[in-house]
Amino acid sequence: MHHWSGRAAGVNQFAEWLSQTSLSLAIQVHEWVIPTIQSIHIVAIGIVLGSVFMIDLRILGWAGRDQTLDETTSRFGPWLTGALCVLLLTGVVMIIGEPARELLAFSFWFKMSLVAIGTIVAAVFQVSLNRSRQQWETSLVNRWTIKSLAVLTFLVWVGVVVLGRLIAYDHVWGSWSASLKA
Amino acid sequence: MNIADLLAALEASPPAVSIRDSLYLFPLIESLHVFGLAMVFGTIMIIDLRLLGLASTRRPFTMMASDILKWTWLAFALTATTGALMFITNAGVYYHNTYFRVKMAMLVLSGINTLIFERTALRSVARWNTEKAAPPAGRTVAALSLLFWIGVIFMGRWVGFTSTRAAPPTDSDINIESLLPK
Repeated sequence: MHHWSGRAAGVNQFAEWLSQTSLSLAIQVHEWVIPTIQSIHIVAIGIVLGSVFMIDLRILGWAGRDQTLDETTSRFGPWLTGALCVLLLTGVVMIIGEPARELLAFSFWFKMSLVAIGTIVAAVFQVSLNRSRQQWETSLVNRWTIKSLAVLTFLVWVGVVVLGRLIAYDHVWGSWSASLKA
Repeated sequence: MNIADLLAALEASPPAVSIRDSLYLFPLIESLHVFGLAMVFGTIMIIDLRLLGLASTRRPFTMMASDILKWTWLAFALTATTGALMFITNAGVYYHNTYFRVKMAMLVLSGINTLIFERTALRSVARWNTEKAAPPAGRTVAALSLLFWIGVIFMGRWVGFTSTRAAPPTDSDINIESLLPK
């Protein structure tokens, strides 16, 4: 456990420094900022979930069967990208405003790992679809491995939402949470 | 039985007691609540943008509605159930919280809005089903729907920031590692 404690101490120092920057102090004194940013963050995660859900339902063949896979991703892909940008921006504001709450939370780092996985899967899917559209439309979409991956990807984003809320309750991780030791 | 007795009875009910006594239940229920409402908002927004003529404009409205709205209702059921479970843990506090009341009022308005849609624009859906946008009544309902749901999200977040939750148990002997094999 030594390597973890050492890293937590480094992150702790960084959080301490960040919390004293003028931007962080400005967010801290205006009490409406954090709830407003959190609300916008939730609106954006709704758009992400809705978009991923519709693309995954199309892959499963449960919705949008009148649309090609390409038409479906053209409709929802840009909204997914846009909402992810809003999430990144509002997320950064929350980290600056409450560095220790975020950076010392086990839930936060677990969540960020899942965000990375979800984003990479979405990007790889889009690139692959652009390169071999015909193959995706006619055969790949019918493979059970691809359908399973669609379900798994959705679950990754569900995990992101759940872990995002659990940042407020990091005590549920017991000794895995660095915020208890700080 | 007056309202104060009812609120007290809800707080004393077995599920309310179990949730308050658990280290994990409230955070888990709240996380599922956020997941549910993100799904409700994410899927409703797709329908509203279609009615407004801003997205999915080449798909028949009825086809999208039958693809999507069943999931919206499923997500709403999850959100309402988890919301009710959170409410009973501290019913007196939430009942008197202004933001909670505004949130409930917006939910009711959203319901009335849906009923108005069913009695106006939806009756003539055959005429505009494949049009780029719904007639004015449908577009008004869609704009109001987005407004109410974004309002619900903001008010919900403010409830969290303005109400004290029933004190969580903080037993440091309980942690996730003790649940895992050594």
